[in-house]
Amino acid sequence: MTTIALQQVLHEQRSALLTAWITQVAALGDQHSVHEHALDALLRSLFDDILGILERQPTANPSLEHEESLALALRQLVGEQARHGSSASTCVNVVLTLKHLMSAQVVTATDVTLEDMLWLEQVFEQLTLLTVTAFLAIRERQITQQSLSLLELSTPVLRLWHRILLLPLVGVIDTVRARQITESLLEAIARYEARVTILDLTGVPVLDTSVAQHLMKTIDAARLLGTRVVMTGISPEGAQTLTKLGIRFADVISRATLRAGIAEALLLVGQQISPLEGKR
Amino acid sequence: MKIPILRLERILLVSIQVDLTDNDAMQFQSDLVEQVAEIEALGVAIDITALDVVDSYMARVINDTASMVRLLGAEAVICGVQPFVALTLVEMGRDLLGADCAFNLGQGLEILRGRIATRGDTRFSENEDV
Repeated sequence: MTTIALQQVLHEQRSALLTAWITQVAALGDQHSVHEHALDALLRSLFDDILGILERQPTANPSLEHEESLALALRQLVGEQARHGSSASTCVNVVLTLKHLMSAQVVTATDVTLEDMLWLEQVFEQLTLLTVTAFLAIRERQITQQSLSLLELSTPVLRLWHRILLLPLVGVIDTVRARQITESLLEAIARYEARVTILDLTGVPVLDTSVAQHLMKTIDAARLLGTRVVMTGISPEGAQTLTKLGIRFADVISRATLRAGIAEALLLVGQQISPLEGKR
Repeated sequence: MKIPILRLERILLVSIQVDLTDNDAMQFQSDLVEQVAEIEALGVAIDITALDVVDSYMARVINDTASMVRLLGAEAVICGVQPFVALTLVEMGRDLLGADCAFNLGQGLEILRGRIATRGDTRFSENEDV
């Protein structure tokens, strides 16, 4: 039995290893890191699971995918770390710290064989893989949630005045957003019976073919509902790009600033802003 | 060769007097649009009285410039198309000069002022605190 030596070493040094690990992990994380007691309990349970695996018979290819309790503990740990803004390398370092501690112990023991070291190595390789996967999964979920909430926030249709709508566009316009913008705009036009829609592009950093095409679709759809479209806030670079791409916005009024656009929209609906009598 | 851009209150005047190379044309376009955006120009008059020949490239440059200017919220007018130039442009294709044209600079400015007067942003300007 090759593992007996390894088991013995790990067993004897169990508490020493655990204490050292917890201390080192605490040093790894910064002050803002995970709540100490929670971290402590997590590390303990993780430690037990890892030890349990290490004490088994070595197999050629240790697969940790079916270790439910280990995976759960690891996911919790990585989740905590990720929530507190740690990087992927910090998470991996937590696992690697334990590996280094164990290797240091095992190497000094007399009757540990090369197979034991190989086994240790393999198990920790898998653990590292698992950690990275868990971290990525968590990040992925965070990104999805954030982009969803951004989508919700980023396309408000504002009712500027009676029968005038304002659609301030901010950020990059992709296909998904463009569709959402068009939908919410058309809905608002129908609801408020808008005669004029102001499309403010001040916050759109890049105007390229795809953005222009999306805009054109939005404008065409709005015009089909019988509303005039006023575009405002196109940058000089944007104007040059659009023209060089051969894009013509026919029958669309374009104004330099939102202020000029609002004035134009007011004219189109026959309103004006004037000072109060005697208050000037 | 740099084309000077003259400013008449919030109207910009440019006069093209020689055939432009590719680089000149790009330089001219970017200079003009920067200026339009900077002063929030209300109108731009492009004068080509001095051009005896306008090829399709020049026609496109002028046309593109007019489109850019309109995207930036200013009115654009092309002045001084010579009879012979008009003839060749029509021979080459009707839509080569899509922007509005005026016989000379004076009439061009008149057209610009008329358009600017009917715009919403200038109508209310006496009520604003600028």
